[in-house]
Amino acid sequence: MTTSIALAPSLQHEAAPRRASTAEPPGVRRLLIGVALAFIILFLVLPLLFVFVEAFGKGAGYYFQALSDPVTWAAIKLTLIAAGISVPLNCVFGLCAAWAIAKFEFRGKSLLITLIDLPFSVSPVIAGLLYVLVFGAQGWLGPWLDAHDIKIIFAVPGIVLATIFVTFPFVARELIPLMQAQGKSEEEAARVLGASGWQTFTRVTLPNIKWGLLYGVILCNARAMGEFGAVSVVSGHIRGQTNTIPLHVEILYNDYDFTGAFAVASLLTFLALITLGLKTWAERQNEILHGREQTA
Amino acid sequence: MSVEVRNVTKQFGSFTALDHVSLKVESGELVALLGPSGSGKTTLLRIIAGLEFPDLADATVLYYGEDVTRIPASQRKAGFAFQHYALFRHLSVFENIAFGLRVRPRATRPSEEEIRERVNRLLKLIQLDAMAKRFPSQLSGGQRQRVALARALAVEPKVLLLDEPFGALDAKVRKELRRWLRQLHDEIHITTLFVTHDQEEALEVADRVAILRSGKIEQIGTPEEIYDRPVSPFVYDFLGNVNLFSGRMKDGEVVIGDTSFAVTDTERVAETQTVAFVRPHDIHIARTQNGAHSFPAQIVRCHAAGSVATVDLERLDDRVHFTAQLSKEEYQQLQPKTGEQVFVQLRNVRLFTDDYSI
Repeated sequence: MTTSIALAPSLQHEAAPRRASTAEPPGVRRLLIGVALAFIILFLVLPLLFVFVEAFGKGAGYYFQALSDPVTWAAIKLTLIAAGISVPLNCVFGLCAAWAIAKFEFRGKSLLITLIDLPFSVSPVIAGLLYVLVFGAQGWLGPWLDAHDIKIIFAVPGIVLATIFVTFPFVARELIPLMQAQGKSEEEAARVLGASGWQTFTRVTLPNIKWGLLYGVILCNARAMGEFGAVSVVSGHIRGQTNTIPLHVEILYNDYDFTGAFAVASLLTFLALITLGLKTWAERQNEILHGREQTA
Repeated sequence: MSVEVRNVTKQFGSFTALDHVSLKVESGELVALLGPSGSGKTTLLRIIAGLEFPDLADATVLYYGEDVTRIPASQRKAGFAFQHYALFRHLSVFENIAFGLRVRPRATRPSEEEIRERVNRLLKLIQLDAMAKRFPSQLSGGQRQRVALARALAVEPKVLLLDEPFGALDAKVRKELRRWLRQLHDEIHITTLFVTHDQEEALEVADRVAILRSGKIEQIGTPEEIYDRPVSPFVYDFLGNVNLFSGRMKDGEVVIGDTSFAVTDTERVAETQTVAFVRPHDIHIARTQNGAHSFPAQIVRCHAAGSVATVDLERLDDRVHFTAQLSKEEYQQLQPKTGEQVFVQLRNVRLFTDDYSI
């Protein structure tokens, strides 16, 4: 105790000149900011604007007409279905995995952590191909599935499976460090106070991780709706049946229907912007919940 | 009428945290578990709370005679205060304290009014009635620890278990809070067991102190007992500063250099070569040789800041360093100077048979 009290002023004393010595001259600072800004405008803001310019290129009437096309609607519906199934599933899985990893010691824990990251390191196209190899007509389970009249590849189940695969790590990745940092003492406190396992989860664990969980869900959802590669391999591109929004954009574009392609693409762009806003908000809420603890 | 553990062993991998430990805390008693880190004191506390389970089948944990060894923490009705408080960060001070009452099954849950009344009473007890709506992050360390105690007390526990309750606080708050804990205990007389590595804290607050070393209880007794009659060099060393003098046994006295000193508890020692233990405040310094019972030494350093003055000395024969503590008055009278040669007398010289190196 006494040493830390004695140390504090000398540390402050040291910190002040160091901060000053690392500060760059104003010219360099302006140059660095300028370069960063130029890159952002050139590679992010301009293309984003271009999407809307192109989408409304033939007027608002054509824009809404392109969106109300039944094939487009089918793509939107399928995207919502795929995300609607994969996001809750990954949410449950992410919670379970993060809980197990953060709160228990068990054999194979590091292997599980590595495996959770697998979808990040495998190309989505390969992921799609894996499902084709397993469930496809020529795949391992193909004949059996065929015999029982179950369609997975080139059908909705395949698209859902591929989406689950690529979005697998998002929730777990978000929650593991958060739960590890929190430790288990609050849960233990709840247990000693007489709370049941479920009460501990709903009254202590969940409130502590809710913003992190929301953050993970938002990212997971954005990826689920925007995934192209893996879904493209298993979809079969049947218009009005197995096309998601990203696949539909590609088809429209290949058909030289640029305005239609960009109109549909603008939906994904809106999604991206909303995701960005929600993400920032959830991040801030999480910081308020956990940051307060440290600053106090 | 007590909280008791019998024959508790706990291993973490190859590390033995507790080795056949038995301990009994009488009803209404305040007992300190004192030991260095890794001595198993926190593990013992967690086993009593039900947060860990003992390894062996014949180990038992008894609450007032009732066997709770296999009962999970949530049903033991123990109050536990964690070292880093473990307050629920998303709940206000009020809701933190009310938590244990709110999670009860409907049949035994107090009404909203009763809960409010009880929490308010506890808030008064911990002198934080004005802070009921604050969140844990808006409180100081000492306030958080008091909230943690109130939260544990709210469920009217059979036993209060405190894990290093003041460990994370600065020295001044720590002293205030441990006096407060003692007062609180005198008021509500709840059977309490607390873990600490601070011997001063244990000796000041507890009715009895259990000293743990490598998973075993080395000694248990009142603060006076263990301070005045330590059973081992480990206990002696752990309870305060100590000087070691190597010497020989001769006619029931210990000979250090050419000087012999009377020994407390002589019957324990038979061997001729031995190590004598002397507390710094039992070392007397004089300018003149007083009979045969003193040996010469040289003053290496003096520092007089604080309530007592400390003088570092060096024996002239084997050049071993040791430390003496003088009261302010003694220091003023003697006015010792660095480099000066003085004569040293020892009181309360203690010998131990088992070999232990500090």
